[in-house]
Amino acid sequence: MREKATTLYFGPQHPGITGNMMVRVKVEGDTIVKATTEVGYLHRAFEKLQEKRNWLQSFTMMCRFCVPETDPMEESYSRAVEAIEGREVPERAKYIRVMVLELARLASFMLWYGGQNGSLGLYTMGQWSVGDRNYILDLFEELTGGRVYHMYIWPGGVRRDLPKGFEQKVLKTLDYLENRLNDYDDLMFDNAIFKKRTQGVGIVDKGKAIEHGVVGAVLRGCGIKSDIRIDDPYEVYDKLDFEVPTAEGGDIWARALVRRQEARQSIRIIRQAIADMPGGSFYNKIPNPQKWTIPKGDAYVRTESVRGEIGMYIASDGGTMPRRVHLRGAAYVHGITLLEDVLMGENIADISAIMNSLGTCPPEIER
Amino acid sequence: MQQLKANLIEHIKTSFKDARVQDYPDENRLDFYVNKQCIPSILTYAKDRLGYIHLSHIAIVDWLEEGEFELIYIIWSPEEKIKMFVRTRLDRENPVIANIDMIWRQANTYEREFREMYGIQFQGLEAPEEFILEDWNGPPPMRRDFDTEAYANETFFHRPGREDALDVREEIIKRSREEIPEFAKKYSR
Repeated sequence: MREKATTLYFGPQHPGITGNMMVRVKVEGDTIVKATTEVGYLHRAFEKLQEKRNWLQSFTMMCRFCVPETDPMEESYSRAVEAIEGREVPERAKYIRVMVLELARLASFMLWYGGQNGSLGLYTMGQWSVGDRNYILDLFEELTGGRVYHMYIWPGGVRRDLPKGFEQKVLKTLDYLENRLNDYDDLMFDNAIFKKRTQGVGIVDKGKAIEHGVVGAVLRGCGIKSDIRIDDPYEVYDKLDFEVPTAEGGDIWARALVRRQEARQSIRIIRQAIADMPGGSFYNKIPNPQKWTIPKGDAYVRTESVRGEIGMYIASDGGTMPRRVHLRGAAYVHGITLLEDVLMGENIADISAIMNSLGTCPPEIER
Repeated sequence: MQQLKANLIEHIKTSFKDARVQDYPDENRLDFYVNKQCIPSILTYAKDRLGYIHLSHIAIVDWLEEGEFELIYIIWSPEEKIKMFVRTRLDRENPVIANIDMIWRQANTYEREFREMYGIQFQGLEAPEEFILEDWNGPPPMRRDFDTEAYANETFFHRPGREDALDVREEIIKRSREEIPEFAKKYSR
């Protein structure tokens, strides 16, 4: 006998939702038979505002697109502007950029550890990992002046050079975090509840992944080896040695296994970037921002974030302001059509865990 | 890379004679300019026959002065590692184009956004009317001729007693008796 269908509203104010959005779910019993994503709680019209800001003023908005990992947006904006203008970036700045990007990834992994476990009622992990994330934010504060929004990777290089002794502080923090990742494994991957709640849940198979344009850890979690840092290398990633982990199964568990390995790979990359970092200039100075024009043209660049591919399309009409800045966030793809598809047939208690696992970040959907 | 690009150009030119090509020799990028009628067929061809299985982005630019919208479908082949930009232009007065969400499902989200924010009609698009905006009956707000400030001034009113917040710069000057620097004057109302 079929149970009576009920419509429930998951969000926008729900402790399990991953941001300012709502999922309207039709359930029979506690099984989801239809899910519809509702957005519109957060639109800040950044891309509209950028049409009336000069190239440097626009840059200051980039980090605000999505809070958990702000540097990929800054970096992709800067790289797109540099590509249109043909501006050279000093080698040292490229290494610093990689170090900052990977530190941002690590910080974002820490948030994910907390969110993924919190969504299953396992709150200890969140307290550990968000606490440990603060050590990375301390580094950011020393380097850039800001803990979350950095505005550090700007067109032409980076905003300032590394403070004295900064590399040693980073390495020390990495040693600590590397040990902590082992503790996380004990708490998370050896946990029977975590296994039971994630294995076979929220499955994205290869066919669905291609159909929906899935990227990042979600794609690697269904066995496809794809990483922008390898496939379409930027900065100095092609000079660094690291692996792209994959897992089979396409469920939350598989994606968690991928991210677990990726956090370790980020540590490996930062150590190499620091060891290989050359001296010299860190910034190819831009002209007076009030008069700074970018030649007519466009560029599309991509950056690998924890949630997946961040794309940045920028068009210039030759003026002092961008004609168009158009962000492609991973959540734009994962948070609507894919999420609606994956939720079908799942248990209502797993919505939050699935959203966390797919990296749903509403600020990327409505910029 | 150049050989791959040459093969790609030949494949596309054979099947789509009107396609115009622009190459970027230093980059892994190739641009094709096509008529809007070709968009579903060229994307299907690229996906099924040429290995361009990943739709990375659909970008849109409003060329107000030229009276056109430009849609740029950016697709990626993991094998060839080339970004293909498939570009087309739409008349701003009557922007209509076929939808492509049967080729890549996520295109549905882009099309819903462009329909709402730019007023572009995607033939065959099945999606709820509203996406981000709610009860919106003004012009599509991301079009360049939509003046956000003028719309806000016409539609909303200022809260009485908050007149000092209307121009913060002027208010600061009044209070601090400092001059606005010459370069910043153009930003002041």
